[in-house]
Amino acid sequence: MKALGLRPVPVALFLLTQLITVVAVALSLGVEPHFDTLLFALHGFALAGAGALVASRQRGNPMGWIFLALALAGTVGDLVQGYGLRGTPEGWTGAVTAQWIDTWIAFPLVMGWAVVFLLFPDGRLPSPRWRAVPWLAGLCVVPATVGWALSPDRDAEIQSAGNPVAVTGPLPEALLWVGVTVYMGVLLASILSLVVRFRRSRGIERQQIKWFALAAAVNGVVLPITVVVGFFSGWLIQAATVTALTLLPIAACVAILRYRLYDVDRTINRTLVYAALTVTLAAAYVATTLVLGTGLGADTAWRTAAATLVVALAFGPLRAWLQDQVDRRYNRSRYAGLQRVAAFLEDLRAGRAAPERIEEVLREVLSDPDLELRYLPPEAELDDGDDGRERSVVSRAGAPIAMLVHGPGFERTPDLDDVVDAAGLAFEIGRLRVDLRRHLDEVTASRARLVAAGNEERRRIERDLHDGAQQRLVAIGLALRHAQSELDGSASEVSQALDGAVSEIRLAIEELRELASGVRPALLDGGLAPAFEDLARRAPLRVTVTATPERFPDLIETAGYFVATEGLTNAIKHSGASTVVLTAERCVNGLRVSVTDDGRGGAEPAEGSGLSGLIDRVEAQGGVLTIVNGAGTGTRLTAELPCG
Amino acid sequence: MRVVIVEDQLLLREGLIRLFADAGHETVASAERAEGIEAVVAGHRPDLVVVDVRLPPSYTDEGALAAKRLKESNPGVGVLILSQHVETSHIGDLVGLGGFGYLLKDRVLDVGEFLAAAQRVAAGGSALDREIVSRLVSSARRDDPLAELTERERDVLALMAEGLTNAAIAKRLFLSDRTVETHVRHVLGKLDLPEGEDGHRRVLAVLAHLNATRDQR
Repeated sequence: MKALGLRPVPVALFLLTQLITVVAVALSLGVEPHFDTLLFALHGFALAGAGALVASRQRGNPMGWIFLALALAGTVGDLVQGYGLRGTPEGWTGAVTAQWIDTWIAFPLVMGWAVVFLLFPDGRLPSPRWRAVPWLAGLCVVPATVGWALSPDRDAEIQSAGNPVAVTGPLPEALLWVGVTVYMGVLLASILSLVVRFRRSRGIERQQIKWFALAAAVNGVVLPITVVVGFFSGWLIQAATVTALTLLPIAACVAILRYRLYDVDRTINRTLVYAALTVTLAAAYVATTLVLGTGLGADTAWRTAAATLVVALAFGPLRAWLQDQVDRRYNRSRYAGLQRVAAFLEDLRAGRAAPERIEEVLREVLSDPDLELRYLPPEAELDDGDDGRERSVVSRAGAPIAMLVHGPGFERTPDLDDVVDAAGLAFEIGRLRVDLRRHLDEVTASRARLVAAGNEERRRIERDLHDGAQQRLVAIGLALRHAQSELDGSASEVSQALDGAVSEIRLAIEELRELASGVRPALLDGGLAPAFEDLARRAPLRVTVTATPERFPDLIETAGYFVATEGLTNAIKHSGASTVVLTAERCVNGLRVSVTDDGRGGAEPAEGSGLSGLIDRVEAQGGVLTIVNGAGTGTRLTAELPCG
Repeated sequence: MRVVIVEDQLLLREGLIRLFADAGHETVASAERAEGIEAVVAGHRPDLVVVDVRLPPSYTDEGALAAKRLKESNPGVGVLILSQHVETSHIGDLVGLGGFGYLLKDRVLDVGEFLAAAQRVAAGGSALDREIVSRLVSSARRDDPLAELTERERDVLALMAEGLTNAAIAKRLFLSDRTVETHVRHVLGKLDLPEGEDGHRRVLAVLAHLNATRDQR
């Protein structure tokens, strides 16, 4: 009881109706068709249940109590009917009266539904202007019911007795006519009130009315058919009637309690599509059978097979076509939205749109300008956030891949799921791209770390060479020179040997210096300008240097220096250039280094060449290396290295 | 000659002290760091301060900075920078000053030349390493006045720049003194510099000028 949120009084009323139903069923079993007994019992159960739920959860809403009252009246009617039918042959007291009551008791009940239409969904009139309608409804019930009850036409409906209170003459007919005419007006007014309500409604109320209208529409179709075909002409018709009537309280209950409120559009849509589909396919089946049977004289088995084949073949395309038609007419915005998504996917496939633009498309289609699309990394925790914004999870193959964070004022519509489903491919591609970018960022960062570590190592080696081995060699040389000076003039051979040794040491120092400058030029300690000057002096061709004295971060300068050395080496070795221009300057976001020669051009960063290594070096610093080979104008190598 | 040595490596420091001692010069003080060197110089009034470019704590250019400070506070004292490699950015405007030298460390192994250079610096002359000079002189710029010099004249200019006298140049190049004088005159003429007794100083000024314009570009 707690889980359903039920309260004692409505539950007691519900149980009372069910108790009455049990007795009524027990009395009625066997004296009328089984389906009659059971269907009305079922209807009573649904009506009373809906009433109890609504009355429990929305105590201020009269709708629940109205449903309970209708259910109570209905089950009492069943009880009276059962007593009458069972008791009349047995001679029970009042059995004939019971039969007579049963002939008219449905009348006020049916009329009561007009009030339901009028008051749905909140139990209040749409506006005070409508207050005459319930009064009229109450008033017209009396003459109509009395006229009906007094009519001698009831004779046939009351077993073994006839109408005990039949009044001959025009009076019953006139009363009935007046009552029913007014009731028709009341019914029309009630339906009109629902239309007015729907027009005025927004958001939740609109969805509520849609639910109820769906059930009402089913009744609107089924009930006239039963009237035309004849109410008692078969259990199928009666079953359809009771089912249609039962839909009303169920739909009203769903709408009022707002349970799966937003599925109504989809349900209406499906109802329309499948109704049309059923009718069309049935027509096709009949038509095929007729054509084959009368036109070609085929035997029954063949006709059936062919008609089945036609129906089977037509099903798929027909369904799609009908869905499309219904989408267009019934839900223009949804149709337009899906069309927009489909067009976007087409652009995406053709490479005209980036998958990231799906966010923009969704904002437009869902009329949610503040919508944010967040891709979820694998194994991400779904957080609900605490910003009070509504969220929808996008899943593909059962795994959540993205989350839509809606803007304030967003109204969830059933279109959302369809649009999101339709755009699934874009989400998936978008997510993959985000993933890829994340991994690329990681790789780039790790490459930068590797280069930084390499540079640090070079610096350390260079320092070790200069400050360690080289210094030690100089010291040893000095020691030898000292030894030499200690010799007196007699030992000239020893002195010569020492000279030789010192020369060797000098060569070793020379080699060490070359080695160290190849590892990392110590000149870079003074910045790019002196380092470039040094390169220019050592180059075997004319090199013009334009270098800013400004200093940049060490890693940036090192990368710039290697661009210069590699470009210069390239120009010397391959280009046949006679002059080279080296520049280093500050650009918008950092350092720009360029090497321009006047050679024959054609530098390509082949696999494993110095240039491809250079690209690695530059990109590791987040920079860009561009190589421009002008025909006959030489090669221009430009590196832009971003820094603060 | 009274010498102060600033060198962080013990072996090298001791080697230098001994080298000067062997030649009859006195090392009045030695230090591992450049900090407080002005006080040492003020206390000992040496003729020459020999200073390593790289010194603790950062091992980058502490020595060069100390040399600049010394030349500003004591213009009279000779300062000789020793470096592991050529790094002209450190010395900047010191190039044109008298009593200044910049040599690669391993030049100390040519004891005779090294001592001569040290003595020149102590006496207010200059001693630039030939590596530096050749880099300054072998410029490839189109508008460079040096481009007009012949190869021989360039050799002469380089040796002048190192701080050698005409006689020393003649000896180094195996030329007669008169030939060297002719070359010197041509060099000065082509560089549009007035001749005079103090020709070497003016060449140094030219080198300093070249060095400076180069840094600006």
